[in-house]
Amino acid sequence: MQAEQEQYYMESFKKLNQSVATRTKLCRSITLTNDIQQLSLLNEFVDSVCEAIGFDASITMQMNLAIEEAVVNVMNYAYPAGSIGDIHIEVHADDQRLTFTITDSGTPFDPTIKEEADTTLSAEERPVGGLGIHLVRHLMTSVSYERTNGKNILTLCKNLNSN
Amino acid sequence: MKTRFQEENNDYVMYFEGRLDTAVSPVVEKELQPLHECEGHDIILDCTKLEYISSSGLRLFLGVLKNAKAKGSKVFIKGINDDIRNVFAMTGFINLFLFK
Repeated sequence: MQAEQEQYYMESFKKLNQSVATRTKLCRSITLTNDIQQLSLLNEFVDSVCEAIGFDASITMQMNLAIEEAVVNVMNYAYPAGSIGDIHIEVHADDQRLTFTITDSGTPFDPTIKEEADTTLSAEERPVGGLGIHLVRHLMTSVSYERTNGKNILTLCKNLNSN
Repeated sequence: MKTRFQEENNDYVMYFEGRLDTAVSPVVEKELQPLHECEGHDIILDCTKLEYISSSGLRLFLGVLKNAKAKGSKVFIKGINDDIRNVFAMTGFINLFLFK
């Protein structure tokens, strides 16, 4: 009887360890081209990452929105119109934070220096663009850009403990 | 993503269903055409079945609003869920539109 119980505890301990292991270390990546129609692949990718982490529908939607905005920026501006280029998206998650790294080999482009959108303007005064990076900034904990070895590297971080 | 246009009690109603992301927004922009000549009609953007919107979708909504205001029409947003309402709040769109 006791042996059975011990066995049961051992099994649940193993399961718990496995779930902690998947929770504490997640690393996935996807490579897209600068074709806007590939956004559905990006959406599936982000959904699967969020599901693996155990995010609810609200935060999953927020991550999808932030990543879509950041990747669309790259799709639109990194490569000259009519040319095809790669966009690599890598995700790392641990207990503390979720990190998306978006890399392309296009022309130097730093979206983080874009001025903050004025969200207090009236409909008549509001420009139609400029909301993408604004949303990224508000949805993520931090956004940073670097240019390394001829690549644009945009890093989006979300702290997991304080949404 | 699906849209449907209908005139109801003199209002121009556009129903949105699904994900309004950057990939579908050029098609949706064309589908919004019936809202353009809106003199004498209020516009209702029915988002009850809208699951997701990104900045390109917001841009389309803003376009509808700018055009309608210039023609003296009101634009109402109907039935948005809490997640999308949050996006409207983040962008200040919550202050631009009327809600039902």
